[in-house]
Amino acid sequence: MRYGTVIRAALALGLTIVLVFLALSHRPVSAAAALAPGKADLKSAGALAFGPDGVLFVGDSMGGAVVALDTSDRTAARGAQMDVQGVDQKIAALVGVTPDQIMINDVAVNPISKNVYVSASRGRGPDAMPLVVRVEPSGAVTALNLGNIGHATVSLVDAPAADPAARQDPRTTTITDMAFVNGNLLVAGMSNEEWSSALRSIPYPFNTAARGTQLQIWHASHGRYETQSPVRTFVPYTMAGQQFVLAAYTCTPLVKIPMTDLKPGSQVKGVTIADLGAGNQPLDMVPYKKDGHDYILIANTSFGVVKLHADSLGTDKPIESPTVVNVAGAPYDKITTLTNVQHLAQIDDARALVVTATRGAGPAYAPGPSTGPVNLQTIALP
Amino acid sequence: MTRWLVALAAVLVLGTTAGSQSVSIQLEGNTFTVVGWQPPAAPPAGGWPSVFAVYVGTGDVPPLLGTYAVERGTLTFRATYPISSGVRYRASFHQPGQRTAVERTFDGPSKSTTPLARVERVYPSADVLPSNQLRLYIYFTAPMSRGEAASRVHVLDGGGKELSALFLPGEELWDPAAQRLTMTFDPGRIKRGLTSNEKMGPPIAEGRRYTLAIDRDWRDARGVAMIEGYRKLFRGGPAVRTPPDQRTWRVTPPRAGTADPLVVDLGRAMNYPLLLRMLQVSGPRGGLDGTIAVARNESEWRFTPRAAWQAGAYRVVADTRLEDLAGNRIGQPFDIDVFERVTEHITTDTVAVPFAVR
Repeated sequence: MRYGTVIRAALALGLTIVLVFLALSHRPVSAAAALAPGKADLKSAGALAFGPDGVLFVGDSMGGAVVALDTSDRTAARGAQMDVQGVDQKIAALVGVTPDQIMINDVAVNPISKNVYVSASRGRGPDAMPLVVRVEPSGAVTALNLGNIGHATVSLVDAPAADPAARQDPRTTTITDMAFVNGNLLVAGMSNEEWSSALRSIPYPFNTAARGTQLQIWHASHGRYETQSPVRTFVPYTMAGQQFVLAAYTCTPLVKIPMTDLKPGSQVKGVTIADLGAGNQPLDMVPYKKDGHDYILIANTSFGVVKLHADSLGTDKPIESPTVVNVAGAPYDKITTLTNVQHLAQIDDARALVVTATRGAGPAYAPGPSTGPVNLQTIALP
Repeated sequence: MTRWLVALAAVLVLGTTAGSQSVSIQLEGNTFTVVGWQPPAAPPAGGWPSVFAVYVGTGDVPPLLGTYAVERGTLTFRATYPISSGVRYRASFHQPGQRTAVERTFDGPSKSTTPLARVERVYPSADVLPSNQLRLYIYFTAPMSRGEAASRVHVLDGGGKELSALFLPGEELWDPAAQRLTMTFDPGRIKRGLTSNEKMGPPIAEGRRYTLAIDRDWRDARGVAMIEGYRKLFRGGPAVRTPPDQRTWRVTPPRAGTADPLVVDLGRAMNYPLLLRMLQVSGPRGGLDGTIAVARNESEWRFTPRAAWQAGAYRVVADTRLEDLAGNRIGQPFDIDVFERVTEHITTDTVAVPFAVR
């Protein structure tokens, strides 16, 4: 009898310890705690990437900065199926403009709550206002209150000219993509003046004194010509236990860069693994595993959506010579069921979110502005 | 009994009508106000939006974003964003206990339709462009609308046929004022050794004639088309594969005591915006203030000092990120041929060209 009591007491103590541990582990941790409430002074809202703890990084190309926002969205969920038609119309109604004045710039899925976040512009001119909205599976859209939100900003440019009367600096660096890897935010950019844009690695939490490390990104072709080329989109990727960045350069080839190469002051050279052809730019990439095989789903500006077979990316020989358009490097299939895709974002191992909108009139390489509506849909990864 | 009920119903209907008639909605600035209704001290159970909301657009859309307040006994709704031209706002007030809502529509300020924008200039300004030309800068007289560049900028061949896949698709690179657009020729067709370059050749062929054509239909930031379209004729020239070399620049020094411009002949056309930012003059007492002018199809750089020149030793200081038309920078070609030039990267940030003022 006494033995049973001891067992029960031990079990109760054990349960209490587990509960206390669980309660502690669900407390907000440092990633969001580093963000101070107040006005997030964004001039534009472009590329999005989630960090830990519901922290959303927003690329502000016009402001020359990256802003970390506390979404306060930390309740774990599996994420319901989403099929929201006309998200541009909903956002337009929310902020009081016609839908043609809403530009959807990027989309990201909160890895904890699986809620969808959209960055957009209210207006198409220089007075356009930045928006970050949360979209729920029901179709409800809620604007993040940028006037009062936990945030931190890191500037990517030199301090503005001391003379306030000086003409507005025409130089901008468009932040083309971002990803949070191993405590650092990787930021790819493209200047509207000089060609040699860098990939930047910024430690988080942001330190106001450090704008991060600039990495020179090179690309070789034909084993002969090297270019310091900007990166359009990239995604962290693990192959055989080694971490890589898969990056699409503006000269189109898809390259792999070992993460260990991304060190301060290093000149990084990507190894070409696929060449997706001319007149095209990869938009977003989603790596995934299915039935024991590795794939990367890639959305392109004019080449549609392709599924790259990635089983042997780690061991594939680099492309050393130009080959026929469409079949260079790693093999891939065109996913013809996915059309008019403007953005892709990973939800989990089996699902992705696609943003679609009817292309504007004109040829595939030069379409007019999309005629809407913009739709968000959950798809099973093919 | 029936008569009583009819009388009661009549009072209710009259009451409702009277109540609705006495309540009106007004808009001043970006604040909508319910006039003639005494709001309760606390918001109703469903919050103020259950009583009063403003809508834009139709279908399953959320109400307009804004904040509610009771000011001097009146319910107000202040729209977070400014009232916009070309937008119709439907304000709906549903008084608790009343069956019908009071609604009123307001139109945003009328849109201006007077065209203001035209293409002011295009760089490079020359009429011969190297076949590996990397970028074009298009300057407008008024702020423009984003998202249209791909469909509004065309390059036609000598026969007037539009050429495809010349420019990098995707991001539009504007200045913050939306008055300068940077168009990048597809670097995959420029860089040697890539599929695009091998299969399609460079965007511009040496010896061929072209027309850069920009549509009048391009809308400015207000949504109004341009005053007129734009055309620039040009010819393809030889590719420029060597990096600019500051040692070949010819500096014509001004005379001491004058405020004449310093003239630097760069020997080749350079990237226009970078010439405004990446060249400076440094004198015995540090950097000089003055104005920069670019001449002779961006191959000449002129610097006029704010104060007269004093005799002494000066330097033109160039940032090595300064590029020519083909993206070759000082000491580093756009695509380095590693067979020919193995380690030809200049690693310094600036280079200097000395000159003396006498």
